[in-house]
Amino acid sequence: MELQSRLSGSELFFEVAGRLIESAAAGVEKAFVEKLIDLYNYIVHDRPSSIASLNLLRLVAQRLLNEGFTGVDKYVSSLASEYDRALWRSAEVAARRVLDGEVVMTTSNSLAVRRFLKTLRDMGRKLEVYVTESRPGREGLVLAEYAESLGYPVTLIVDSAARFFVRDVDKVVVGAEGIASNGALVAKVGTGLLSLVAKEARKRVFVIAPTMKFSYETIYGELLKLPEGGAELIVEREEEPPEGFTARVPLYEVAPPEYIDGIATEYGLIAPQAIPLLLRSIYGEYPPSYQPLQYLIQVLTERYGVKK
Amino acid sequence: MKIRGAGRIARSAAEALKYAALEYGGVREVSEFKKYMVEAGKLLISTRPTAVSLPNAVIFVLRNLRGVSNYEEARESVVKAADAFIKNSEEAVKRISEYGAKRIKEGSVVLTHCHSSTAVEVIARAYSEGRVVKVYNTETRPFLQGRITFTHLRKYGVPVVQIPDSAVRYIMHEVDYVVVGADTITSNGAVVNKIGTSQVALAAKEARVRVYVAAESYKFSPLTLIGELVKIEYRDPEEVVPRDWLDKHPGVRVLNPVFDVTPPDYIDAIITEYGVLPPQASILILIDKLGWTLESIKYSENIVENLEKIIE
Repeated sequence: MELQSRLSGSELFFEVAGRLIESAAAGVEKAFVEKLIDLYNYIVHDRPSSIASLNLLRLVAQRLLNEGFTGVDKYVSSLASEYDRALWRSAEVAARRVLDGEVVMTTSNSLAVRRFLKTLRDMGRKLEVYVTESRPGREGLVLAEYAESLGYPVTLIVDSAARFFVRDVDKVVVGAEGIASNGALVAKVGTGLLSLVAKEARKRVFVIAPTMKFSYETIYGELLKLPEGGAELIVEREEEPPEGFTARVPLYEVAPPEYIDGIATEYGLIAPQAIPLLLRSIYGEYPPSYQPLQYLIQVLTERYGVKK
Repeated sequence: MKIRGAGRIARSAAEALKYAALEYGGVREVSEFKKYMVEAGKLLISTRPTAVSLPNAVIFVLRNLRGVSNYEEARESVVKAADAFIKNSEEAVKRISEYGAKRIKEGSVVLTHCHSSTAVEVIARAYSEGRVVKVYNTETRPFLQGRITFTHLRKYGVPVVQIPDSAVRYIMHEVDYVVVGADTITSNGAVVNKIGTSQVALAAKEARVRVYVAAESYKFSPLTLIGELVKIEYRDPEEVVPRDWLDKHPGVRVLNPVFDVTPPDYIDAIITEYGVLPPQASILILIDKLGWTLESIKYSENIVENLEKIIE
C-alpha cells in the first residue's frame, strides 16, 4: 500500500474513501475486502491516530457484514460526501469565532484550517495568518502559500518562534488527526507545544474536527498511538549529517483538553470535556455501542479467506 | 582580527587593557593615566557594541582605579585586575561544569537547545560522573546549531539523540533536566538566548523538569535594571527559506528572530563560576563580581560615553 505520507487526516480520509469506491465499483467482492484490509494495515501502521479513516473503515466493514456487498460503493460515496459537508460545516463554526481584523496562528497544513481560511475569505473578513514551518515535513510552507493565494497577509516563522510570536496573535486554530474521548487532541507534532504557549499567553485555542475524528476505542481505555520516524525525516537531501547521527522524530503529539478552548464540529462548538455528551445525543446512548475495528477485520479475514 | 565567543572577546579585552597599562608612556600622574585607560576602554567597547562580555571585562579591569591616588598603584591595579579577569575567565567553564554536574542526579536524561560550549561541558562532565545517561538535543532551526552540539557531545562519548524543535514538549516527559547556555542574562534574571529557549523552558516547567542555565559571570548585563528592554535582532529570511521561495511568495513575510527571553520564573538556577545562583539574584553578580555599583548602573545605556563615570 502506497499513500502519500504528507496527506492531512481529512485528505487521507478522502483518499481511503476514493480507493474503496473504486474497488467496490469494480464489482469483485473478495478483491474489495482485500483492499479494505490492505488499507486498514497501512493506516494502523503508518497513521494509527488518523481516526477519521479508521472510523470510515469500521462503518464500511460493519455494512459489509450486516448488509452484504451490494450497494457498498454508494454507501462509501455517501459517507464521503457526508464527511465533506461536516468538514465544511465545522470550518464555518470555527470561522464564526473570528472577528474582523483578527490575527490567527496555526501550524502544519490541515485541510480543515484551509477550509476555515476559505470560509473567512468568502465571508469577506479581514484576517492575518501566522504559521510555523512545522518540521518535520515543513507543511507550514504549503499552508502559507495557500493563505497567500487567498490574499491574506501571511507570516512564516520557525517552530522555535511560536512562543515569541503568539502574543501578537488573537487566536490559535488547528486541525486534528484524532480526538480522544477525554477531549485530548492528536495532531501534528508541535501542536501540543503551540497550545501550551497559547495558554500561557492567554490566547484561545480552537480545534476544527468533525465528529468522524472522535475515537471510539479511547472510550474503553485504548491509547492513541503516535508513530515516530528517524533521521531520514529531518536530514535534507543535500545535507551531510554529523557522524553517527541519530534522531527521534515524532510525527504527532497530544494536546491535553485543558489547553483547548473549543472543538468546532459539524454540530457546533463544544468544550473538549463535553464529547461524551455530544456522542450520546448523536447515538442515543453513551457509550455508543460499536464493534472494535480489529475484531471486524478479523471476521472479514476469516469469512473471505483473505491471506495474511 | 575576528574573535568569536563571549569568553574570548572578554579575555582579549582584558589583555589589551593590561598591555595598554604596561605600555603607557605619558605623564606619570594618576589623573592622566586614568584618562588614558578610559580612552582605551572606550575604544575596545566600541569595537563590538552588542557583546555584553566586552564592557563587563573593561569595567572589571578598570574598576579598581576608583580609589587609587598614586600612579604606580593605579598601573599595578589594572595589570592585576586584568590578570585576575583572564585567570577567572579561563577557569570559569571548568568551575561551571563542576558545579553544574553536581546538580544532576545519577542516571538522568538531559535536554539541551542550540549549541553552547558551556552547557556541553556541564553535560559532558555529568556524563563522565555517571550522572547523565542520555541527551536529547534540538536541531535548532533555522541554522541547525544542534548538529554542532551533536558532534561536540559525541566527542565526549555522550549518547545523543536529536529531535526537531517542534518535539520538545513531546519528549519532555522523558527528560530530567534541561541544560542550556545564555547569550545575555539581565539584571532581573531573565535569560536571553537562542530563539526557542523560552518555550523549551516553558515545556520543562509544565512537566516539572528542572531548567539550568550555564553561564559565565561576564554574560550578566545591567539591562532591564535601568528599564532598557533587550532588543531582539531579526536575521535574514533566507536562513529559513531559500531566495526563490521568497521571490515566488511576495505575500509571505518570513520573520527570523535570533533570540528570545526566558523569564526568571522558568529557570531553576543559573550556574556561574561563582556558584549556583537563583536567577532573581543576578544583580548580585553585577555588583559584587563585575564591579557595577547601584549608582553607576544608570549609565549602562551608554557605556562608551559614560565609562569614566561608571568606574569613578
